[in-house]
Amino acid sequence: MRPNVFRPQSLQEACSLLEEHEEALVYGGGTALQILLKQGILVGSSFIDISGIPGLAEISFTDDFLRVGPMVTLRRMERSEEIRELFSLASSAYAKVANPRVRNTATVGGNIAHGDYRLDPPVALLVLGASVELTSRNSIRKVPLEEFFVDFQVTDISAGEIVTAVEIPRSIHLAGSSFVKLSSLSANDWPSASAAVGLMENDNGVHTLRLALGALAATPVMATVDIRNLNLDQTLEASLSKAMELMDPIADVRGSVKYKLRLGRVAVEEAIRSAWKEVPNGR
Amino acid sequence: MGGDLTNLEIENDAAAVGQSWQRSDLEAKVRGTFRYTADLPVPRCLYLGVHRASQPHARILNIDISSALEMPGVVRVVTGADLFGIYGELIYTGPAFADQPPIAIDKVRYVGEPIAVVVATDLITARAAADEVYVEYGELPAVLDVDDAISGSDYVHEHLRPSSVFSDLKHLQGRGETNVNYEYNLTSGDVEKAKANSDKTVSGEFWCPPTSHVAIELFSTTAWVEGNRLEVVTTTQTPSYVRQALASMLDIRLNQVRVRTQPLGGGFGSKMYDRLEPLVAAISWTYKLAVKLEITREETFVLTTRHGVAVSSQMSADSIGMIVSAEADVRYDTGAYADIGPRIASKSGMVACGPYKVANARVRSRCIYTNKTSAGPFRGFGVPQVTWSHESLVDELAREFGEDPAQFRRKNLLREGDVAPMGTVMHSADFVGCMDAVTSAIGWNTPLERARGPWRWGRGVAVGIKAVLTPTISNAVLQLNQDASATLLISTVDMGQGSDTIMAQIVAEILCLGPDQVRVVNPDTDITPYDTITAGSRSTYHTGNAVKKVAERMREKLISIAAQLLGVSETDCKLTNGGVVASSSQKYLSIDEIMQLHFGAIGTTLTTESNFTTEWIPYDKETGQSVKVTEHWFAGAAAVELGVDTRTGRIHIAHLAVAGDVGRAINPALVKQQLEGGAIMGLGHALFDEIVMDHGQMINGTLLDYQLPSVKDLPDRLTPIIIENPHQTGPFGAKGVGETAIIPIAPSIANAVRDAIGIRFTRLPLTPERLLMAMAGEGD
Ligand SMILES: Cc1cc2nc3c(=O)[nH]c(=O)nc-3n(C[C@H](O)[C@H](O)[C@H](O)COP(=O)(O)OP(=O)(O)OC[C@H]3O[C@@H](n4cnc5c(N)ncnc54)[C@H](O)[C@@H]3O)c2cc1C
Repeated sequence: MRPNVFRPQSLQEACSLLEEHEEALVYGGGTALQILLKQGILVGSSFIDISGIPGLAEISFTDDFLRVGPMVTLRRMERSEEIRELFSLASSAYAKVANPRVRNTATVGGNIAHGDYRLDPPVALLVLGASVELTSRNSIRKVPLEEFFVDFQVTDISAGEIVTAVEIPRSIHLAGSSFVKLSSLSANDWPSASAAVGLMENDNGVHTLRLALGALAATPVMATVDIRNLNLDQTLEASLSKAMELMDPIADVRGSVKYKLRLGRVAVEEAIRSAWKEVPNGR
Repeated sequence: MGGDLTNLEIENDAAAVGQSWQRSDLEAKVRGTFRYTADLPVPRCLYLGVHRASQPHARILNIDISSALEMPGVVRVVTGADLFGIYGELIYTGPAFADQPPIAIDKVRYVGEPIAVVVATDLITARAAADEVYVEYGELPAVLDVDDAISGSDYVHEHLRPSSVFSDLKHLQGRGETNVNYEYNLTSGDVEKAKANSDKTVSGEFWCPPTSHVAIELFSTTAWVEGNRLEVVTTTQTPSYVRQALASMLDIRLNQVRVRTQPLGGGFGSKMYDRLEPLVAAISWTYKLAVKLEITREETFVLTTRHGVAVSSQMSADSIGMIVSAEADVRYDTGAYADIGPRIASKSGMVACGPYKVANARVRSRCIYTNKTSAGPFRGFGVPQVTWSHESLVDELAREFGEDPAQFRRKNLLREGDVAPMGTVMHSADFVGCMDAVTSAIGWNTPLERARGPWRWGRGVAVGIKAVLTPTISNAVLQLNQDASATLLISTVDMGQGSDTIMAQIVAEILCLGPDQVRVVNPDTDITPYDTITAGSRSTYHTGNAVKKVAERMREKLISIAAQLLGVSETDCKLTNGGVVASSSQKYLSIDEIMQLHFGAIGTTLTTESNFTTEWIPYDKETGQSVKVTEHWFAGAAAVELGVDTRTGRIHIAHLAVAGDVGRAINPALVKQQLEGGAIMGLGHALFDEIVMDHGQMINGTLLDYQLPSVKDLPDRLTPIIIENPHQTGPFGAKGVGETAIIPIAPSIANAVRDAIGIRFTRLPLTPERLLMAMAGEGD
């Protein structure tokens, strides 16, 4: 059966439609949905195409946040000069998703909502302390990304909710950051392990390491490591042991558990080393 | 009329052979106006949807089609039993064994085998209804491993059914209790003695997994009945074969079947022999319906694959490092149906000892049924898999002697006039030239910084040998039109290799025509003459020879007519640009004038035809020996410089050079593209391209999970090198090149990995996981 497609012109209308049609799914760029359709996993659903709603494809800066509309493409996140300047970690993760065709079509909202444990952008967004804005007919709520990924392919989005923004706080200043994606097959395939690292600094120097991992557990996962007074080697040691606690990989055609554990360590180490290099005068 | 040569500027500047003519389909493909097979106009059709088996090996106990039939738009549902009821044994087809029913009849033999076919008014309904077919299976033990298939007592087929096409398989008729459907044996000299007297021996257990062709264009077949004839429009590399197979199956005359194809969006061997055609033709003919089957990308994965191949092999050398003996036990996993597997097992088994002078050789090469998708031809016809073995072994042997692997090969490689282990002489196969070209391209003898941070660098080389399929047949018909344009009728299928372009160049060369003056007609069995197959790199040589001949005949015919018109002898006449000139009188007639004077009309055509058939001497059944096992040889080599990331196991290829001896390059640009394309495909097979199976189910049969090299996986530098040692009987000395590059790629990469990290890998692909685990001492 061909899915029913609704094309609401306002957020209000979209929310109402979503409430009326229980089985309906929000249609972002469709890069994930089209595959699910083709694989026969989605049958008979309705789609609510939100591309006609004004204002959902905007990137804006407030004093406190970078606010990204759900229909902003991944390619724009990769290319935006402002984002590159302020949140290079985000740009570099968006730039590593799939290939230009996917990035030109896929959206920031769809990417987050997809909820796959291997997604690249969420790993960087976790380190950046991002949150997700969810809008339903009667409410708007903001969920920290750390709480957003609930379980394997499950997010905190409730029935009737639409991702209406991803926000990155300007308050978390990273002195150094890095995103590392390691694939086992073709170079631009999904990752077998990914890691994002951000080093937080105050007047006394680097004090906290924010670490997130992708493709290494049932959801993207995140931790902070207190690295006050630690040198690079000590930081690596502390962070790797934290990373080991977070990792619980799933075996598939892209690698065994053992292999992914090894790769995870490499990703973490590489990300830390390269973030470390960005910190002026080291420590 | 006519003219004086001195007053005309006639020079043969149109020389076509050796020029990089732009491919004839370039503009249409770039602009997106090119019409592929599925774009051809056909009558209004019903659509087919296929219900496929979910079990690898099972009796079909019951097929419930009732809910499918109830769906609006469904016209009928066809099962194997329906077709068997009408056609009986004729319904089984296949190029070597008539073992394959278009729809499973009594049992299923692989996951994905058609069990029922829905005929519906539209594609979506056809596919949806196919999901509403319910099958009750009586599970049978599945034969999933090629070695278990040999030793076990579960059989994929109750008895063997060699087809009548190959009379030399007759002795296998009706044999039961075996999964081995063909065995080729080669023996020369005394292997045991040679081995006993040798200085060093190396051995290995090699494995190449099955892979998928993944041509960009999907398969499509449409068939309808016109009066008492069947019309078929299909994506095929073998229109002549398909016509014959369908006529035999339906028990009708050859002229009652018309098969057409457009140039393909890639084939690589996948679109050959019996694919969708028997199924679609049987339904169309039986129910007198116009029907179309277009399959999904996912379905292409279960349609056909490359053979997974196991090779147990050994190689020994004497104290001065000359190879004295080689042995290989080769097992081709051919899946549920033989397809062309038996031919692959023999033609590839015969070169399993490599392109070396080896006096004592023994090969046993078997084609084996298992409960998997039927494997068929794949660029290289089974040769890359045996090359994986011999090029790894010879490299190890060189290392045993502490010798440079290139130098070691150079001592042992076959040269012009040498006799290969199966008894045939080498000609126009410059292995040494190819190897020297690739090694020098990558700077083989320059110093290499081996350790750079976590990276370890190394270099590797490999050489490949392949025989062209022999005997085969090509035909050509040429029409010269009054306005000096020409129309060439051949059944070679252009599938991106550019055959339409180079065949036009051959005609143009002989008839002194320019790039726009020769049109090549797309294969249409009502019009274009028989051609064995477009595969196995055979077209340039075979069809090319037929085309050269047909053009030469046209030249003779034209000269003979012109000589009469000019009142001079034929020997006095010469064809030049646009016309014929008499040397003695310098009198000249343009083609246009000759045709008009001859026929007394405009718009006329002059026709010639030709045939080119190759012969062989069948190999001895016991020893595999033949003094002429093939018409000619392909020689190629690859050399690579790469780094291995010791943290991740990932390979980074800095430079890959690949060379092929093509005899003579008719179109150097197209030859280079073939070398590059073959190299990139080979690179995929070396690094990660692989069908992964679990209990008979393909677990990565989608393009999300089945990985091909992306632009980011390409070597930093890829250098294609053309080697030209003209073949005595090739058209202008030319031979094909479609497969030459792919053959040595995987071992060249593995040999470089061996050089870099000191580990020999015998299983493909060389995934980062495999490398990393081996470096950690936890390899498989
Ligand atoms: C070939 C390929 C390779 C890929 N490789 C990678 C990779 O390497 N790394 C990586 O990170 N990702 C990869 N992806 C995944 C890709 O990032 C996602 O497909 C994409 O981000 C989804 O975005 P979309 O806008 O197309 O979502 P859609 O397909 O439109 O939707 C995805 C899901 O999100 C829901 N949804 C969409 N928008 C909203 C919204 N605003 N509010 C609520 N729910 C919404 C949909 O209902 C659906 O459930 C790959 C995808 C493909 C096809």
